[in-house]
This record gives sequence, C-alpha cells and structure tokens, in this order.
Amino acid sequence: MNTSRRGFLRGTFAGSTVAVGLPFLDCFLDDSGTALAGTRQTLPSVFGNWFQYLGLNPGRWVPDQTGADYKNKVELAMFDPWKSRINLFSGGFYHLDGRPVETHRTGVQIATLGGIPGGRESGASLDSDIAEIIGRRTRFQTLDVTGTGGRFGVSKRAGAAYKPVESSPAALYRRIFGPEFTDPNAAEFVPSTKALAKSSVLSQITEQRRAVLRTVGAADRARLDEYFTSLRQLEQQIAMQLEPPEPLPACSPPPSIGAEAEAGGEVTAVERNVDLFGSLIVHAITCGQTRVFNVTMNTQGCRKAGSTQNWHGYTHEEPIDDALGYQPETTWFIMWANKIFANFLKKLESTPEGAGSVLDRVLVLWQTDHGYARTHTMDNVTTMTVGNAGGLFRTGRHIALAGDPVTRVGLTVQQGFGVRVSAWGSQSNRVTRPITDILA
Amino acid sequence: MNRARTLFDWLRGRKRVVSVFTVLAVGAALAWLLSPSTPNSAKVFVPPQVKASRLTPEQYRAVIGDIFGPQIDLGGRLEPVMRVGGLLTVGASSVSVTAAGMEQFDAMAEAIADQVLLQAANRQIFLPCKPADPRKADEGCARLFLSRVGERLFRRPLSESELRTFVAAAGVASTKLGDFHAGLSMSLAAMLASPQFLFRIPVLEEDPGRSGAFRLDGYSKASRLSFFLWNTGPDPELLRAAREGELESNRGLRRQIDRMMRSPRLEEGLRAFFRDMLQFDAFETLSKDPMLFPKFSRREMADAEEQTLRTLVDHLLVRGGDYRDVFTTKQTFLTPSLAAIYQVPVAHDAPNGDIEEWVPFEFAADDPRAGILSHASFTALHSPPGRTSPTERGKAVREVLMCQTVPAPPPDVQFTVVQNTADPVHRTVRQRLLAHATVPSCAGCHRVMDPMGLALENFDGSGEFRTAENGVGIDTSGDLDGVPFTNPLELAAVVRDNPAIPSCLVKRMAAYAFGQELTQDQRVFVKDMRKLFRESGYQVPELMRAIASREEFYQAAPLRPSDEPPMRMAAIGK
Amino acid sequence: MAVRAASALAATLILCLSPTAGAAETSRSFVVSFFAQQFTNQPGDCPGGINPEDERGQISVALRTMGYGPAEVRRLMAGWDKGGEGERRVAEILERRAVINGEPVNPMTHPEAVPDPNLKFVSAQKSVGFDLDGRRTAEDFIDLRTGVAGIDNQLFRALGCNQNFRGTWTSPSAYGEWVWVQLRDSQPAWLLTITGPSSGRDGLVKVRIQRSLDRLSANMDGSPRAHSTYRLDPDPRSINEFDGVIKDGVLTISRQPKFSILWNGLSAPVLNLSDFQLRLQQDARGQWDGLIGGFQPWRELYFAFSHNGIVGDRPGLWHAMKKAADHDPDPRTGQNLGISVAYRLTAIPAFVAVADPRLRSASAKR
Repeated sequence: MNTSRRGFLRGTFAGSTVAVGLPFLDCFLDDSGTALAGTRQTLPSVFGNWFQYLGLNPGRWVPDQTGADYKNKVELAMFDPWKSRINLFSGGFYHLDGRPVETHRTGVQIATLGGIPGGRESGASLDSDIAEIIGRRTRFQTLDVTGTGGRFGVSKRAGAAYKPVESSPAALYRRIFGPEFTDPNAAEFVPSTKALAKSSVLSQITEQRRAVLRTVGAADRARLDEYFTSLRQLEQQIAMQLEPPEPLPACSPPPSIGAEAEAGGEVTAVERNVDLFGSLIVHAITCGQTRVFNVTMNTQGCRKAGSTQNWHGYTHEEPIDDALGYQPETTWFIMWANKIFANFLKKLESTPEGAGSVLDRVLVLWQTDHGYARTHTMDNVTTMTVGNAGGLFRTGRHIALAGDPVTRVGLTVQQGFGVRVSAWGSQSNRVTRPITDILA
Repeated sequence: MNRARTLFDWLRGRKRVVSVFTVLAVGAALAWLLSPSTPNSAKVFVPPQVKASRLTPEQYRAVIGDIFGPQIDLGGRLEPVMRVGGLLTVGASSVSVTAAGMEQFDAMAEAIADQVLLQAANRQIFLPCKPADPRKADEGCARLFLSRVGERLFRRPLSESELRTFVAAAGVASTKLGDFHAGLSMSLAAMLASPQFLFRIPVLEEDPGRSGAFRLDGYSKASRLSFFLWNTGPDPELLRAAREGELESNRGLRRQIDRMMRSPRLEEGLRAFFRDMLQFDAFETLSKDPMLFPKFSRREMADAEEQTLRTLVDHLLVRGGDYRDVFTTKQTFLTPSLAAIYQVPVAHDAPNGDIEEWVPFEFAADDPRAGILSHASFTALHSPPGRTSPTERGKAVREVLMCQTVPAPPPDVQFTVVQNTADPVHRTVRQRLLAHATVPSCAGCHRVMDPMGLALENFDGSGEFRTAENGVGIDTSGDLDGVPFTNPLELAAVVRDNPAIPSCLVKRMAAYAFGQELTQDQRVFVKDMRKLFRESGYQVPELMRAIASREEFYQAAPLRPSDEPPMRMAAIGK
Repeated sequence: MAVRAASALAATLILCLSPTAGAAETSRSFVVSFFAQQFTNQPGDCPGGINPEDERGQISVALRTMGYGPAEVRRLMAGWDKGGEGERRVAEILERRAVINGEPVNPMTHPEAVPDPNLKFVSAQKSVGFDLDGRRTAEDFIDLRTGVAGIDNQLFRALGCNQNFRGTWTSPSAYGEWVWVQLRDSQPAWLLTITGPSSGRDGLVKVRIQRSLDRLSANMDGSPRAHSTYRLDPDPRSINEFDGVIKDGVLTISRQPKFSILWNGLSAPVLNLSDFQLRLQQDARGQWDGLIGGFQPWRELYFAFSHNGIVGDRPGLWHAMKKAADHDPDPRTGQNLGISVAYRLTAIPAFVAVADPRLRSASAKR
C-alpha cells in the first residue's frame, strides 16, 4: 500500500483553495510501530521538539516573500540546505489576555501548552499529546534532553510537574543502549487485539452496510458505491496491521559514545553535548526506541569561556550598534545557536535509512520564548518546522501568520501526527483552524 | 428531378409503406406527447426525485451533540461539502465520501464511541444496563443499548437484521478484546461510520392519497422536517410521532410543526439557512492584508458573521419583521472589537479579559449604514485581501441575494489596471473600472454588477467607513435595473424594493428545504410559496411553516433507473 | 435567545462628555498608545563615559566607593571572575556595602546608606522637555527639536549616561520600552479627551486626562487598536482637567500646578507632576505625539527602579537623582525632593464611555 491512498480534498471558495489534509493514523502501523506491509516500506514518523530560548533579531529573519519561493534573511540563511524541508512561520503571536508577561516563561507555556495555565495544574505539552498517539508502542515514549544543563525541560504531562531532562549524554547512553536494550531486529511479532477485534467487526457488518444499496435510486447508488470503495481501502489498512513488520536494517546500536563535557552554559561544552545527544537521538530513532524527542536549549545562561556576561545579559544590557543596527554579541549567540541546530539537522540528514535518511521521517518543531528577547515581545515570534515526518506534511513554505496565535502551528503539527484534536489552546490562544497549506 | 418523381411514384405505389409510415409517425408523436420527459407547462406539481444527502459538517456536529451531548469532542476534521445552486445543502445531495473522508469519519467514530462508552461518567448516562461479566460479551445489554442509540443515529428503528448484525459485531469484538465495553464501543463506532448514519437516505412508500404515486415514509418525513427547521436529526418526540403514524395526518403533522416552530431550536435552523445562503463558509478562507487592515483578524471575521446572523434572527424571528427590511434596518448587534471597525462607541461592563458581550446597537437616522449590505459580513467578505472590488460585491448582490446569474469573465481578461490601487491617474476604483472595461462586450455584465458595488465603496476592504480613496472623494451614485441611488442608504432602499429579493429568498428556502435544486416540475409549488410569502408580509418563519406543512413537501417521484452521471469526488472546482 | 440575553446583559451609556447647547462643542477622545520617560541622547553627551552596566563593572565601582584601591579591586575581581571562593569573598564584602549602625542592610532599599559611587552625568547642551521653572540656569538645556532655551530635564542629566536609559526621539530607551511592553496589555489605559469648538481645529480647548477601567485594546498583531471604547475610571485621584490651546495642529497646556494619575508598579504607584506642561502634535490620521513634563518626586521613581536589575547600579541612581534634583526643597534639610522630567506620549483615536447599566445606543457623528 502506498501513501497516495491518503489523498487530500480540495474545494475552492471564492477563488482560493481549501485543502483538507488528513492525519497518518497510527492504526495503519503495526504494534512495534514499524513498517506497513506491502511493496514500499514506510518507517514510522518521528516528532522532535527543539525549544530554544531568546529568539532571533526581528528584521533579520522574516523573509520578504511568502509561500514556496522565499529567500532567507541573514539569521536563517544557514538553513538554506534544508529549505525545501522547512516551513517558516512569521508574524505569530503569543496572546496574554491581559496578564503581565512572565519573561522567558509565558512564551514557553503558550508554545508548549497552548496557553497560560490557570492554576498550579496545567495540561500536557504538545509533544506529550503527540507521544500519546505515536509513542505508545516504543520503549521510550519520549526522550528528553537538554544541551545547556539544568534539570527540567519544557515537556510535561497533564497535571504533573515538568519532566526532568537528561543533561548528561553518557547517562542517556546507558539508559538507551545499556543492558536493557533489546535489538528490534530480533523481535517476535504479536498482532494487536484491537486490530483483530476491529477487523472482525468490519467483516460482520460490511454485508449489512451494503444492504443499503438496494434501497436507493440509481444516482444515489453510484454515490454510495464511492463510499464503499473508500471503506474498502480502510479495511485493507486494518488488515495490514495483522501482519508482521519488517526488520529495521538501519539500526546499529553504538558500542560507546565519546567523552562528554560538563553540563552547563559554556559554549564549547554546549556544542559538545548537543553533538553527543544528537547522535544518541539518531540511533534511538533508527533502532525504534522512541518516536518523540525533546531538546531544551535554555540559552539564557550560555556564555563564552572567560566572559562573565551571558546571552541573556547581553540581550538587555548590550546596546544596539548604530552602524550594524543590532546587538553584536547577542547576535553572535543567535548565529551560534542556529549553527548548533543546523549541525543537528546535518546529523539527521547524513544517517542513511530506508531509501533516504533519518530526516525523511522526522519533523522537528523549532520554537522560542519571545519575538525579541531584548524587550520580551510576544509578537512576531519565530517558529519553524524542519522535515515532513514521512510525508505527513508539506514543506518549503514561508507562512505569514499575520497576528494569528502561534498555537495554530502546534495544532497543525498535532493533527498531522494524528492527535484527535479539533481545537487547541486557551482563551485568545485557542485555535480551531489548522494551517492546511502544510498538511499533506 | 427524376429521382424525386421516382421517389414519389415509389411511395404512391407503396400504399402499405405509406400507411405504416403514417402510423409510425402518429405513434411517435403520441409517444412524445405522453412521455414523462415532456416539459411540464405549468399547473401540475410533479414531485422531485428524492436524493440521499450526506450530512454536512454542521449537521454532523449537531446530531452528535444532540444524541451524546456537547461535551463530546469530535477530534477530527469533517469533509466539506460543495456548493450547488447557491447552497451547500443542495450540494450535499451530490457528494459522497472519499477515501480521505472515510478515514476521518472512521477516526471520529472511534473517538466518539470511546468517549461515550469508555469514559465512566458518560457511560453512566448512555448505557442503560450492565453486562453480566464486564470481560465478556453480553447480548442483552448490547441489544438494549444499540437499538436505542441506533434509532437516533439511523433516524429510524433498526431492522431486526440490522440490529442482529451490530449486536453480533459487538459480541465478537467483546470476546476478542476480553472487554464488553470496548467491544460495544467498536460496534457503536461502526454504526457511526455506516452509510445509514452518514447519509440521509429517504425511504419511500406508496401514497394512499394518489394512486401510483409515492411519498416519504413517516421517519423520512421526520428527518426532512427536522433538518429543515432545526438543521439536525429528529428528536425523540418527533421519532415517536413518526412511529405512531401521527405524521400521516394533517393534524399530527401540524402539531409537530407548531412544536418545532415554537422551540428555541428554530433559531439554529434559521441561522443554518442564512449561513448557507449568504455563503458565510467563505469566512474560513477569507484573509485580509494585516498591514492594510490591522483591525480585521480572525476574531473580527467570526464577529462579523455573528453580527449579521444575530441581526437576522432578531429581525425575522424575534420581532417578526418583513424580510425586505433586513436591507434597511438600522438595528444590529456589536461587540467592542467589532465596534472599533464601525468606529462607533460600544463598551461593556465586565472585568478586563472577559469574553466580549454582544450589545444591541442602532445607527443614527442619518448614518449612511443600514441593513446587511453595510455589514462587514458583506463588505469584507466580498473583497480581496488588500482592496475593495465593486464588481465582486455587485456580483454577490445579484447572485447571492437576487438569484440572478452573472456569466463568468472571459478567460483572457486582464486585471492589472483595476488592481493597481497606487495608480496616480486613476485614483478611485470607479476610475480604474472605467479604464479596465475597454472591451464593449464586457460592459454588459459590468453594467449589471458594478453600480451596486460602487455605491458600497464607502466601505473599505475590512468594512470600515471612508469618504475618500487616495484623497479623492468617493462617488456612490448608480442605479439598479433603472432605479437610481446616490449613496449606500439609497442603495439599501432600492435593493429592498426590488422584487427579485423576496422571490430569491423563496427559491433558496425551497431548495434548502427539499435538499436539492427544484426544476420546472416543482415550479407551481415555488410560485405558491412566493404568493404566500408576499401575502404574509414577507414573514420568513411563516414561509418555513408553509413549506413544512404542504403535502407536496413530502411527495416523491418513484425510484427508477437514471442515467445521471455519478459525482466522483466530494468537492470539485468552484 | 442569545439575542434577548445580550440585551439584558449589555452595558453602557455612550459618550456623555460635552455637548452644550448653543456653541456646537465637540469632544474627541484618545487613548495613550505609548508612554515612557523621554531620553534624547546625542553623540558625545557623556564625555566621562557610560556608567558600567554589566555586573562586573558595577561591582568594581561599588568596591572602589567602599574604599578599596584600584589594585585591590583588580585582585578581588580576578578572584570573582574565577568563581567559587573568589566570588564568595566579593559577595561577602558587598554585603557590607550599606551599613546602618554597624549592621549591614539591603543596599537597594537603603541607598542612603551606600556611599555615593558618583555615577557620571550627561553634559550635553541639548535635550527635549519643557521650561518648567521659567528661569534660565546653568543646568538648563536647549530644546533639541525647537531650539528653545531654558529646558529643565534633570532626570535626563542624572540617568542619561546609564546604558538602559539612553534613547533617541525615534528609539525609546531600553528601560522605557521594556516597562511599556511589559505592562501595556495589563495596566489600565490612560485617556485624553479634548473638548472644543467644532469649527476648525484651532482655539481654546478643555483637556481631560484620566484613567480607564479597561486596558489598552490591541489588534491581533499587537499594535494599538484605534476606535476602541474605554470606560472612564471615576476614581478622582486620576482625573485631571486643564485648559489648553490648539494651534496649527499642536496642543499646548502650560504651567498647571498639578497632574496626578495612578500608574503601575514598575514605574511608580502614582505619576505626580507639578508645574505640569504638555505639548502634542497631531498627524493626518488624528494621532497625537509629543511630551508631557513637570517636576516629579524622584524618590518615588527610585523605588520603582530599585527592584529591577536592568537599570544599572541602583544605589548609584539614587545618589545621582538626589544630586540632580532641582525642585521643592525639603523645609528641614533643604534637599530637593522634585526632579524635572519629560515623558513621551502618543495617543490614538478612541471612544470613552461612562460605565452604566442603562442601555442606550447612538452612533458618533463622523
């Protein structure tokens, strides 16, 4: 079965196109979350959350053009090699609904939870919602790391406190590839009872459904025939779940990892640890250990060796250079952080898997806490996705959200991964319309 | 010449051939006269071929909300319906379910069924029995549940074989899963994805009052009535009336119609009709340039739609007003954010950050804004993202409100002149349109559309009022079919008095009610309704009641093989 | 149903300032869309250099003022750089930066007890602001925009050599912008209502500046939303009424004894200005832009700065403002309690309403 059976629906209203895209439902995949049986193997999609504090410089990243033919400005130009896989969102808004900004916190909450929590209990972050759908059959529902030290990241379950993050690559290595690791290429297959049950139900009632055809006129019969054709495809998908999966040839668990640096904000240490974490994440993906990962880059404390000022300090205390028009040190950090992300993307792209690379089935959601860290703005917040998660999304676009809440991106990503949600977020950040342009 | 004579001679000599020929000719003429495809030349109502309609997204939500409560999260996206004959409701009888749509319906069915049966709180409400052993199948409890829920979902009682099938399916699933409720949930999900739920399939019976004719059976009547008046499936009371044959008698039918007309749910039916007729679904894809119109965002779009719907409900339903007056009424409703677009003061007494309230508002007598043509739901909806388009607005008046079709522009038409809002010579759109319409053959259609749009040029692309464009005063004079006007207020009055306005409403309402486009065969019915509408003082609720009360509304042509081409995809083209 | 409910719930009585019978007077209202101290730096206006804004620089200055010599300070700071023990040593020393009766106290809340670090002052010729005292003194500026002499703006002089208080006419200071962005969506908005003759713009007007019960309304892109309606806050502490003049699109209010409006916790609880003046210019879209000024109690300003780390060396700011203060001498000590200041204010068209449960609707005349 190929993925084109997931068609999309187009209607035109007043000249513009409406496309209704659809999620890649988890029921199409078997229990170990690996392949769809059939002539073309498709590996399961993976979601990654990359949260980077302190944002970019407004004016140096929003492309002048929207749509597919846009040119990156200086701060995002280094992502040009992946431009066709990237969706860039400008003009997004974190709405406050009258509440004062809790700097470097409110933006995080809105980006990951969809809104500012009302009390001490709050909902799940969007990566948790996605993990509920795609991560239930992997050994680790999510992998949460931080490149910048610290104990907590931005991911959480409903009600509970924030999930702790791994700040030591060595510890993460032991967790994944230590003695409890089981090679997936040796797994025994057991079909899910739910799929068996659903298959039985369908075979019971199909005859009954078809009886309807006898009660309608010819024109209606033709239309109902189409319904039954669609139904047949669904039945085939379910039948597939009852077959054993293909092995994972790309999985090669590393025997060890290199020396890690001391977790913290010093720039070379951050580079080193993120590099090690990146490798581990890639291995974990190819070995089917997880389908959701979170990387928290709490960049506020990042500083150059020997310097006492950190990135956060620079954002507020460094003056804007009259000739350059921006804060030089702050901008150095912005470009440095972007380079780290680019290196991570390179790692995903250079690891072969299936017909291409690991990046082919990944979508990384890049988010930040403010539009402009210097004055803690909540408008024009940079948001981007890299990758199309195995064809679940369309990419290569610059989309101007034009004041829409950033939560529209979160809603769209969740829907693309199959989270059954028709609305996300609270109060003015509550959205019901996904960005259909990027849903496949 | 020789040949002709020879032919004639030959014919004369073939008396038998000639007479056979004559008989054949006469017979053909008779057959032609008597064949059912003869156009009906007026007085007789011929019932339409009743078609199955797929539930529209709105109807799906309404039905699920009615049966399982509003707290159920659908968790998916509903396949939209295409617009046919100006109405989505009519389009619903042309569409089917695509593979993509099937996946969605299946996923939603599962999500709904799981919420109903697997969440303890909901289960207590909806499941009237407990299984003997929750880890095993229980036919009795499954039967009780599925027959009750099935009747609401299929909008008629399940046949014994249908019920047996779904109960068996539940049993099989319960056994495989080792869980009664999970198995029952799968069967319920299967019901929710069945064509009997997704499509309103009419069931016909012989009409005892007219020999050889057919009508909708009781349950199909109930369905048609309910979707017309309330835009949702029949409620338990209406199903009961159908079950007990009450809908067969005039009195019984009238009693139900009275009940439904008195109900607050009539408002939803009225809203659904106008949302369809006024094409408010276009709001979903509407976009405005945020640099040019920073005030107009998603929130204002939703508010603009709601403003007009509220105004219509208030005027037509609450006050029993004349339909034509919706074009001239000064009364409307506004929220504070919408008021900023109309540049009028509206505040509300509520703590900061509270949801905005709707406030009744009346424009002053000399304020140029009156009626729904001056609402943002018209002016902003029928404008491109960065400017106004009098042609688009004029076309909307013709097609949406007057049911008149304007032909499409020729494929090679150039829009650069009219779109150039920075043109230093042609500073107003009126000037640009004149410069654009250089080809004489275009003038005909533009003459019919532009004047009304030009009268509305005081409203910019976001509905905000202005008196000048690019520094030049706006000229709002024109005429509609020969009747002149000089400003938007006068335009409103001229539109109000145009006979096409009420006539179009009746046509749309009738097509909406029947769920399909009406043909010449039903012309006499529509004519009757127009007369009734006029005599009632253009009362829209009375029109709805009249349509619902007529026998013709429930008559159907017999099923027969048809050579209509089937619709392949759910939505194609415009 | 929803319609009837809305009727029952709905609010307000609209716009009942003005019309008097006879001379057709009109009121136009505006809401403040930006407000912050206006600092207008020019190149070379701090010949002694900018006061250190980084933590390290501030600590060095503090140690110097506590009496440590330059070499000693270098040694201590080298230790501080390394962190650990060296950092702790410096922290210990700084704990005694403010001492009262031999006991260390919080220097931020007891700045008087901190030796004056002598932050550098602005020594430019030009600034913006108002001639508040009607006198020419050596410390006065020449107005950067109008060329008028005798401008009093001692707050600029005192703070203008601190990085986060530096700005220009087109680009507000980091501190000012920060405070505004932080609170504009949650603090009550300020309203301006100008009542005057309807014919033409020029003439005598009455100007009322007061607070609203509502916060500034914004468009979805964050820009302030014009033509929104704001309920007037009846609290008399925030109601100010003045006579003014409009000429050639410029509104001027001269020398009013007192201006007072409730403000916010990041700036000062109340904005008190004596010898209040105002000068605003109106543009083609009806928006106002300009300055208000007066003498402000500087100690109120300080306690707003004091809990904010980005302003620089806070006790140093106390001493700076104390030395620069130029008005209202304390009868006992002679210390000036007021400091001259200019605030930048922009305002966009709005409607005002008196919150009232009665329901009445009318449209404003265009």
